[in-house]
Amino acid sequence: MTAAALPPGILGQRRVRRMGRGRKSLYVGIAIMLVMLVCAFVPELVAPYDPLAFDYNAIMHPPSLAHPFGTDNFGRDVLSRVIWATRIDMQIAIFCTLFPLFFGTLVGAIVGYRGGWLEAIFGRLVDLTITFPFLVIVIAIVAVLGPGLLNMYIAVSAVGWVFYAQLMRADVQVQRQSEYVAAAKVLGYGEARIIFRHLLPNAITPIIVYWMTDMALDILLGSSLGYLGLGAQPPTAEWGVIIADGKNFMSTAWWISVFPGIAIVLAGVGFSLVGDGIADIFRRRR
Amino acid sequence: MAAVAQAALASEVQPLLAVRDLRVVFGHGEAALTAVDGIDFEVAPGEVLGLAGESGSGKSVTLRAILRLVHPPGRVSGHVLWRGRDLLTIPEDELRRVRGGQIGVIFQEPMTALNPVLTVGMQIRENLHEHTTLDAAGRKARAIELLDHVGIPAARSRIEDYPHQFSGGMRQRAMIAIALASSPKLLLADEPTTALDVTIQDQILKLILRLRRELAMSVVLVTHDLGVIAQTCDRLAVMYAGRVVETGPVAEIFRKPRHAYTLGLLNSVPRAGVMRRPLASIPGQPPLLSNLPEGCAFAPRCRFVIDACRQARPPLVEVEPAHQSACICHATVAAA
Amino acid sequence: MSLNYLVIRLAQILPTFFLIMVIVFVLVHLLPGDPTSALLGIRATDEAVNRINEQLGLNRSIPVQFLFFLRNFFQGDLGDSIVLKVSVTSLIINRLPVTLFLTAFAAILAVLLAVPMAMLAALRRDSAVDGAIRTGFQIGLSMPVFYIGIVLLTFFAARLRWFPVGGFGTTFGEDLYHLFLPALTLAFSLSAVLMRNLRNGIIEVVNAEYVDFARAKGLRNRLVLGRHVLRNALIATVALFGLNIGTLLGGAVITESVFAIPGVGRLMIDSIYGRDYPVIQGLTLTLAILVSLVFLVTDLVQASLDPRIARR
Repeated sequence: MTAAALPPGILGQRRVRRMGRGRKSLYVGIAIMLVMLVCAFVPELVAPYDPLAFDYNAIMHPPSLAHPFGTDNFGRDVLSRVIWATRIDMQIAIFCTLFPLFFGTLVGAIVGYRGGWLEAIFGRLVDLTITFPFLVIVIAIVAVLGPGLLNMYIAVSAVGWVFYAQLMRADVQVQRQSEYVAAAKVLGYGEARIIFRHLLPNAITPIIVYWMTDMALDILLGSSLGYLGLGAQPPTAEWGVIIADGKNFMSTAWWISVFPGIAIVLAGVGFSLVGDGIADIFRRRR
Repeated sequence: MAAVAQAALASEVQPLLAVRDLRVVFGHGEAALTAVDGIDFEVAPGEVLGLAGESGSGKSVTLRAILRLVHPPGRVSGHVLWRGRDLLTIPEDELRRVRGGQIGVIFQEPMTALNPVLTVGMQIRENLHEHTTLDAAGRKARAIELLDHVGIPAARSRIEDYPHQFSGGMRQRAMIAIALASSPKLLLADEPTTALDVTIQDQILKLILRLRRELAMSVVLVTHDLGVIAQTCDRLAVMYAGRVVETGPVAEIFRKPRHAYTLGLLNSVPRAGVMRRPLASIPGQPPLLSNLPEGCAFAPRCRFVIDACRQARPPLVEVEPAHQSACICHATVAAA
Repeated sequence: MSLNYLVIRLAQILPTFFLIMVIVFVLVHLLPGDPTSALLGIRATDEAVNRINEQLGLNRSIPVQFLFFLRNFFQGDLGDSIVLKVSVTSLIINRLPVTLFLTAFAAILAVLLAVPMAMLAALRRDSAVDGAIRTGFQIGLSMPVFYIGIVLLTFFAARLRWFPVGGFGTTFGEDLYHLFLPALTLAFSLSAVLMRNLRNGIIEVVNAEYVDFARAKGLRNRLVLGRHVLRNALIATVALFGLNIGTLLGGAVITESVFAIPGVGRLMIDSIYGRDYPVIQGLTLTLAILVSLVFLVTDLVQASLDPRIARR
């Protein structure tokens, strides 16, 4: 390779310029996340109206100064509904991933560290998990347990942890052979200490990057289930539910469905930008 | 400098390839790094020219620059004259006819230079497809002939094998077969033996020499291994930090190097026919291209260094007929 | 690719089938929610409950029930739909072709979209074109399927009237026309995933030594890019393509709801509203087996693209 024939650092300048761009998108991502978090934590301070209040004098009004995102078929302020829905959708992102994040990471670390028959069983489990279309298995579980957010969290958690575990296992497997683990063993450290103090911190970055992606995916999933009537139940303001509410009025009152859709896209882009940014910083540090 | 080289050549045969003021720069402005810094050399018909130097000296980049194979952000300037045409400026279509057709290239590591998912036969045939008028059957027959010619046993049955099914030495033979498929007049070989076992190395070098004779072609051989140079080359150009620091006939340079760096290189390897003495490595590291010293780039590691060496870059000057050196102390070095 | 490899992969898929059946069985039988009361309603008499339990084998032990389930499956019997009162097998056979057509159509569209765009983005790396393509696909990736569907439906079908709003035709050409918007909807996120992967793959491969070597042979650019760059970069993308078929089928469930297409996805949602457990069970099973078959095909395609895999 041409570049390989040159001393390291020969392309340094280019790298610096790229880093500048990478940082910028990370900051954009963080900015989006901050806006989302403010809307999620204190919607009452941000939203101009009560998201559930009907106003029969303002039914399906197009966007205006009074209602920047317009109003829906019950005269509810779409902006306020989108803002309040942020709370539900962020909650979906967190609650769908909390158990998989902790449980999956732990299982992955143990399986990766111990290897052997545990690994063989886990391998089969992974094969099996990816065989079921994620949405189909989640829908099937929700079907058995009944529609609603709680059952959706259970369904997603039951399947989602496998992906974290697989990611963690792959990383730990590589590290298991590394010198510092050998050194820790020689020093007589216990298994738990090696896993928690040494392996986990070293393998956690890809997990966090995946977590970001996963939260974005779960927002998509949550809104899809909301749209299908299997997730958040009306009149709760949830992006998917709002879109479903407005879909019959797309031709006459596009704003009801379009704005919550933009919110979903924004959330997804925000999570991926933050994830990519973290991955980028991590890659450079190595 | 070019004028000097030209004068030296005026009495000799017309060169096949003439490289003039070749320069390869990576990056822009302040951060620009000059990997190859205005070098000149030529290759006569049938000649084997060695391009020697440590890694990072610019020898591989030079080789790639000849056929415009340097990737961005690298930028190449100067002239590469091939049969009177400048390869650096001719249109892509014409360049393609030269590549593979008139000038063949082999790389250091056949495992990475051969496409892992195409059969060896396919990789020979696509060269023939481009540069010859042979039909499919003709190409296949020629491919088998070529594999046979470079010494691959049972060539007929191995033609549909993939590179990973070949051993290291066989892969290098296959790569040579691909490069020489359309009987080029010049072979550019980038460290062709470095990745191989010593015994295989010898076979490959002998193969290259044999093919040179049979095809009446010239070879530019890039290597860091002076043993390889001694065994194969007629002439040698030693590179250091992107420049040619000494060039001349191999026998003469080996007998009486006229550059402190060449002397250092020669002293660091055992040589036949020279009085036995302890091997001495050159102290220090090659300089970073981002941080080249003011004068002679070798000065910081040189045991002959005088003040003048640190003032300005010494030019390449004729020290003996057809033998040039860029060393101010070349007389002292020769006497050492 | 050798015959051996095919046989090994076929043998490997059998235990997967078995495990799929275990999971689906466990899902419906062990989770709370009672098929019998769903079947008869809550005011059923004890006698009726017993009769149904007898009929479905629900009064046997769980392992025996599983054996019944296995035996029935191999006889092509997935039970009867509670709501529609017909056999689940016939329902699936009726509805599956539509879904398969939609999914295959979407997969083809996704590839047709992703490959040229990835090529363009990779070869013009870090340019404005690259940035625009990546941003566009990133947005596509962040959009829920149903949202893309609604927007396309409103704009191209309802407003511009370029496409019908739903259903499908009677000839192959009409099918293509009717299912174009749904397929495009479904193709978006897959093509984004493929584009990103392929772009990075091409960037990795384009600087590979064997690509330089191919150029040094004097091959024309089209050949270098097609035979040496794209082909090698595609190997990894094919694997990813297979892994995403499950997601595509999941998306089909939603797309069919949005566009009112009578495939298995629509059937699945209807069955959930109707608590039609036998149908849900049969569909989950069918889709999982379908995905594992797609995995098999992807592996074979990959092996034919990369000789190193089959001989490993």
